Amino acid sequence: MSTYSNQCAIVGVGENQRSRKSGTTPLHMALTAARNALADAGLEAKDLDGIMNYSTAGDSCPSHELATYLGCHPKYVKDVSGGGSSTELLIADAVALIEAGMLETVLIYRSMNGSSGEKVGRGYDPNMLQEMLPGGSFIMPYGSASPTQWFGMFANRHMHETGITKEHLGHVCISFYEHAQRNPNAFLNGKPLDMETYLATPDISMPFNIHDCCVELDEANAIIVTSASNAKNCKSKPVFIAGMAPRTTHSHVHYWTQVDEVAADHAAAELYKSAGVKPEDIQVASIYDCFSWVVLRQLESYGFAKRGEVGDFVAAGNLKMGGSLPSNTAGGMLSEGYTHGMNNVLELVRQLRHDYKGTDRQVKDCELGISTGWAGPDIAGAMILRN
Amino acid sequence: MTKQTAYEKPIPLKTQDNHEYWDAADQHELKLQKCSACSTFIHPPGPACPTCGSPETEWELLGSDITATVYSYIVSYRPFLPGFQHELPTVITVAALDADPDVKIMANIIECDPEDVEIGVPLKMTWVDITDDRALPQWVLARG
Repeated sequence: MSTYSNQCAIVGVGENQRSRKSGTTPLHMALTAARNALADAGLEAKDLDGIMNYSTAGDSCPSHELATYLGCHPKYVKDVSGGGSSTELLIADAVALIEAGMLETVLIYRSMNGSSGEKVGRGYDPNMLQEMLPGGSFIMPYGSASPTQWFGMFANRHMHETGITKEHLGHVCISFYEHAQRNPNAFLNGKPLDMETYLATPDISMPFNIHDCCVELDEANAIIVTSASNAKNCKSKPVFIAGMAPRTTHSHVHYWTQVDEVAADHAAAELYKSAGVKPEDIQVASIYDCFSWVVLRQLESYGFAKRGEVGDFVAAGNLKMGGSLPSNTAGGMLSEGYTHGMNNVLELVRQLRHDYKGTDRQVKDCELGISTGWAGPDIAGAMILRN
Repeated sequence: MTKQTAYEKPIPLKTQDNHEYWDAADQHELKLQKCSACSTFIHPPGPACPTCGSPETEWELLGSDITATVYSYIVSYRPFLPGFQHELPTVITVAALDADPDVKIMANIIECDPEDVEIGVPLKMTWVDITDDRALPQWVLARG
């Protein structure tokens, strides 16, 4: 595979106001996010010739419907059933279609009433997984219906093998909560977390307590990707897509017969090769954080710390502002809000544009960032962005 | 008159691909699908071998004396499905079969103190009759 050669850029990002109860539909929320992304880019809806969206169990609105009420008629719409790596994977699709000359400007969104509507994390319909998913009949009868349980099985084995402790999980949470205190739009702004409180919080499902789990909210996010040549016409500072790697592993979704490897382990080499950079070149990060442990596991996968040293890496404050890898600097999904991965990418774009320059939120002079998507242990999608 | 309590938890759904496993479970036996081409066990069962892609598969009866060790486990303090609210905390394990540790079978560890569960402890398979004609494979701690 050739390198991405920075031929495409993210030129607009936008969101709606996140809340526990939106009182409205995913379509309304997506319209707000899309209009904000268009305004950010200085584009109009008629400039979009592609719109893409991902959803879980039909919790979003279709791209064609969004296009209808933006008042535009794009050439291409695409709706996928996806997980937390879909932001990166749809951006990869957009890049391919733009580089092929089929499209010029693509809007990608995720809209979900994740708190008041369908909840990814609080258990699906009892018969849904059995009927729809291969392997579902082998987990549901045992009460395993929540990602806390599925990923916890990986976490406990990994912690056993590598010496990662509950305190190490706590350092991930505390680092991100600290960022949320600087972000007025973070849902847990005003609710800082210390280690004593963290350790005193009972587990929902071992090894995870409520702080280890992302904050499920009603949210919509949108991202606009265009060609590097068209990016010059946009109002915003372009953030170029420098590298990309998708990857699957495991035979099944939700029945993981082995809990040792994750797809990210295999994505990393291709990712860095595609961008022509190394882990130590990365200055700011968006690490998928549906659960605290998922961050630790990916830090190992993507080469930021060696297996067995990841706990010490986060305990030393490396994920915080001023650390070697400031990560999830808006608070992440653990404390800003959960838009199924996309809100972390919005923040990475804003960091690389230096939108926070002159404030304590800006990762000073950052030029190169990584975003790691995790749809589960089985599917990864990661990208490298540069300004 | 005593009222029989209905089984509230999800009952394994038999399908074209998995019914041999559950039919054997109803008889308190473990039967696993195996690839006829590469001889790898296929669990959970499916329409072809995930290891080599061969559509030629067969079934192997392993019987009722099944032992394993805890490869990983979780302890859940909140019910995510109906029926589990009566049995908290719930211990769920991925257990490696002694007969072939590459085969991992997920089930609860029943009748145990969660404090006694750790990675590596030995298990024995048991079958719980959940309805008149269905039985569910489960693990218990293998003692002494």
